[in-house]
Amino acid sequence: MRPFLLLPALCLASISLSAPQAAAAALERAPAAAPSAKATASSAQATALAQASAPAANDLQASQKNIVRVSVTSQSYDFSRPWSKRAPATRRAIGAVLPGGRVLVTAECVANANYIELENPDGNHKEPATIECVDYEANLALLKPDSAAFLEGQPGVGFEGTRIGDSLSVLQLEANGQVQSSSGKVTTAEVTRYPIDDSSFLVCRLSVPLQMRDSMLSLPVLKDGKLAGLMLRYDSQSSLLDFIPSIVIEHFLKDAKNTPYEGFPRMGCSFSLTRDPQLRRYLGLNGNNGGVLISQILRGGPAEKAGLLKGDVLLEIEGNPIDSDGNYKDADYGRVSLGHLVSTKHFEGQKVKVKVWREGKSLTLEVPVARRKPQQYLSEPYIIDRAPQYFVLGGLVLQELSRQYLKEFGADWSRKGPMELVQMDRIQSELPEDGIKRAVVLTRVLPSDVTIGYEDLRNLLVTAINGMPLTCLADVPKAMAKATDGLHRIEFKGDPCLIFLDAKAAEANGQALQRAYGLPALSRLE
Amino acid sequence: MHNRSLPPLLLLGIAAFASLAGLPPAQSAEPSPIRKSLARISNTAQEPNYKQPWLPGFTGGSSGTGWVVSKDRILTNAHVVSNARFLTLEKENDPKKYIAEVEHVAHDCDLAVLKVQDPTFFTGTIPLELGSIPDIETEVSVYGYPIGGDRLSVTRGVVSRIDFRPYAHSGLDSHLTIQIDAAINPGNSGGPVLQKGKVVGVAFQGFSGDVAQNVGYMIPTPVIRRFLEDIKDGTYDRYMDLSLSMFNTLNPAMRRGLGLPNDDRGVFVSSVASAGVCNGHVKPGDVILAIDSLPVASDGTVELEGERVQMAEVAERKFRGDSIRLALWRNRAQTEVTVPLSHAWPFTMQSNQFDVLPTYVLYGGLLFQPLSRNLLSSVQFQNPRLSYMFEAFVPRELYKDHPEVIVLSAILADPINTYLSEFKDGVLEEVDGTPVRTLADVASAFAKPADFHVLKFIGNGRPLVLERSVVDAARERIRTRYGVRQEQLLETAAR
Repeated sequence: MRPFLLLPALCLASISLSAPQAAAAALERAPAAAPSAKATASSAQATALAQASAPAANDLQASQKNIVRVSVTSQSYDFSRPWSKRAPATRRAIGAVLPGGRVLVTAECVANANYIELENPDGNHKEPATIECVDYEANLALLKPDSAAFLEGQPGVGFEGTRIGDSLSVLQLEANGQVQSSSGKVTTAEVTRYPIDDSSFLVCRLSVPLQMRDSMLSLPVLKDGKLAGLMLRYDSQSSLLDFIPSIVIEHFLKDAKNTPYEGFPRMGCSFSLTRDPQLRRYLGLNGNNGGVLISQILRGGPAEKAGLLKGDVLLEIEGNPIDSDGNYKDADYGRVSLGHLVSTKHFEGQKVKVKVWREGKSLTLEVPVARRKPQQYLSEPYIIDRAPQYFVLGGLVLQELSRQYLKEFGADWSRKGPMELVQMDRIQSELPEDGIKRAVVLTRVLPSDVTIGYEDLRNLLVTAINGMPLTCLADVPKAMAKATDGLHRIEFKGDPCLIFLDAKAAEANGQALQRAYGLPALSRLE
Repeated sequence: MHNRSLPPLLLLGIAAFASLAGLPPAQSAEPSPIRKSLARISNTAQEPNYKQPWLPGFTGGSSGTGWVVSKDRILTNAHVVSNARFLTLEKENDPKKYIAEVEHVAHDCDLAVLKVQDPTFFTGTIPLELGSIPDIETEVSVYGYPIGGDRLSVTRGVVSRIDFRPYAHSGLDSHLTIQIDAAINPGNSGGPVLQKGKVVGVAFQGFSGDVAQNVGYMIPTPVIRRFLEDIKDGTYDRYMDLSLSMFNTLNPAMRRGLGLPNDDRGVFVSSVASAGVCNGHVKPGDVILAIDSLPVASDGTVELEGERVQMAEVAERKFRGDSIRLALWRNRAQTEVTVPLSHAWPFTMQSNQFDVLPTYVLYGGLLFQPLSRNLLSSVQFQNPRLSYMFEAFVPRELYKDHPEVIVLSAILADPINTYLSEFKDGVLEEVDGTPVRTLADVASAFAKPADFHVLKFIGNGRPLVLERSVVDAARERIRTRYGVRQEQLLETAAR
């Protein structure tokens, strides 16, 4: 049951491919594969021509100038060996050129990037690029080529909103630089999950058959030559493509003009549906037929600050009536979840007027919406582009609990991961306020003569060292200074509840451990 | 000693009868006294139905082996006779079927004693004598009625290993076990393993062929003797368990921190289960230096009859009402306590249960059941909180607030509960403001008059509201539509 046997290839898996296709997509283009690739390319062209309709032809012309290939070599940290990175892997995508010499791609293709390279469609010019702004929750990233000259002659696309029933085209590139456009119709729009757990935004769904290529991360979706969105995921079995609509992208771009980038704000509460007539009668909601029940208020969050209470019934947001399913009527997308109204139509710090029903009366409150940053969680929901912190204490490896660490136990981490840690991550919002910023975990032991008898300890919550309760990993060095009688006293929640470590021997052992296990450093605390 | 991880062990009862036609009747070879004392046991069992607990359950047949252990009693495995509705015995060279019943059953060590209605069964039988623990590498013979034929089968092998191992039947207990390499197969269960004419074990479990070859396990005589001793007073009191979690004191810093001398002795007590026998006698942080005067080594083992075994083995050999003396190191001084073994571990939800009826409350089409290994093995739950509560029940002492963890395990669809699907698999915390500790609390809350019953589930901010008048109006409809014969069963009465 060791976590480090399971190595997911990407930290964010979003594209659902059938197995052989996934293998093909993961491989870099090999020369030997070129002839067959050409063969499929020409047949694909034939299909595309047959499908091409008038708007698609427009898109083709406009887009020629406004797309680039993006190659990203990324290297993620191995959270079960926090001092080392995994082998580098290359991902390829198609980016949309925006006015002002920037390139837009999904965030998941630049996650943990070491090197980003842009390539014009003809393949005759390559240019390194850097990330100017990235939002992993909204899954969007803005890239800036090192030389502005690279995008000369590519003026960039404008944006276009989408409605259900619209005909859109998805752009891909052939090996020879030919733009491949496939078109389909928008079938639904709903607020649903993005690659990062617990983040949901508006997603539009397009029914479109696509050829699998090695650049299946982030494809531009166009409407009349303008950018309607970026592909989020594609299911080859059902030919359904989910995309991030332009309204989400525009929020991101507007916010990206400011430093620091703030992101998409939330109210900081959860709600339950009130369709159940028995619940409505119990709540005294007989008069109308809408509203959702506030079922949880995030501690210290915007809703709490505004005075919203658990048990309130949320009736309106900014004058928009909320129905019993938590939807409002959007001018463009019809009935969509109120999450879209709050997050995508507002910016950090704005006050959102809400009307609630409390004890038979309605009252209006102003919620200063704000994004909950990953650092504000007890167990960070994701750690990307940041090295994991760790502290090696005489062979005991201490780390902070994070969802990223738990994901080292595989896709099935919530069942296969260490029970106590999984539970803590899952119910973190239910835990009482106790001043703990992060849970410190003894993740494993690097055996040495200092740790005899402790070899099998792993995934234990550390509550205190030398009598000092730990609130985060940075407390460990401070607590270590309090050793008494030359011993560190380490307390756990679980079995064993307590161990001792020889302070001097642990200190002296550092170099030997570094040598034996190839550790570049004994700790990383920033 | 409780063990939570289990290898895929195979119990050796035959679940379905396999019959081969056309074999000539075997010539009875020289009559061995042993074969006179063997019986083939056929069990018509009924497995309770946890998905629809008001139904009588699934009926099926299985068979195994038993042997005459005393003048008029048969010994076999508990799993051979579990959930039995009708038991018959057959003897070699006797066409008659004898009706038997279970007198004592010990699910924690997989043994059972049977009585036979017709005393003539024991005419000519010779009770087999119990031997001791056989030496490694010595030869043993296994007698029984495994698959592959109808008549007695004998296989031979050597003693491979003697170890403390999990017993698959309860899914939770571990005891002394002897591994042999004689072929033992489904149907051998309960059969005697003999050496020099004496029983040295009862064949009970093995691995299926794709996991390991020639690995069979038998229950050794110390476990059999303990069972026979325990039932002498007419009841089986189960194994005694110290209910402590312990950690080694191998590390020199650990020893210094605890103030222990450098003598490789003592095991650190990390936690003491409040429902266990040691509560009030042993404290977390104590070090156990000796158990019944046997020195405990720093890895938690003691030397017993020339073998190093886990300290738990000392408690294993005791009975309810006995006591255990522990030499403790507490606050850097030696002290001694006597722990009365007053009761067996009270909570059985973590082990497989047999011969019990599933308890439940059905209200408004909502089925409430206490969480148990039985429930988890028959119903697929999506809520990971349930597996946490199951695993953490003892280590986190969840039994203090929830002696029973009440799960909304199913919803019988009806217009009155059509908006309640989000609550399925939830753990009930409160009804009408009263905390739910047991299933009986749920039943009594619903029995009280109220306009609305308001149910709170752990981790769900939305209350589940049931309007009394609506539920009452739907009651008969739900009963009829789903064939519910009885809306609740609160006592898991042994059948």
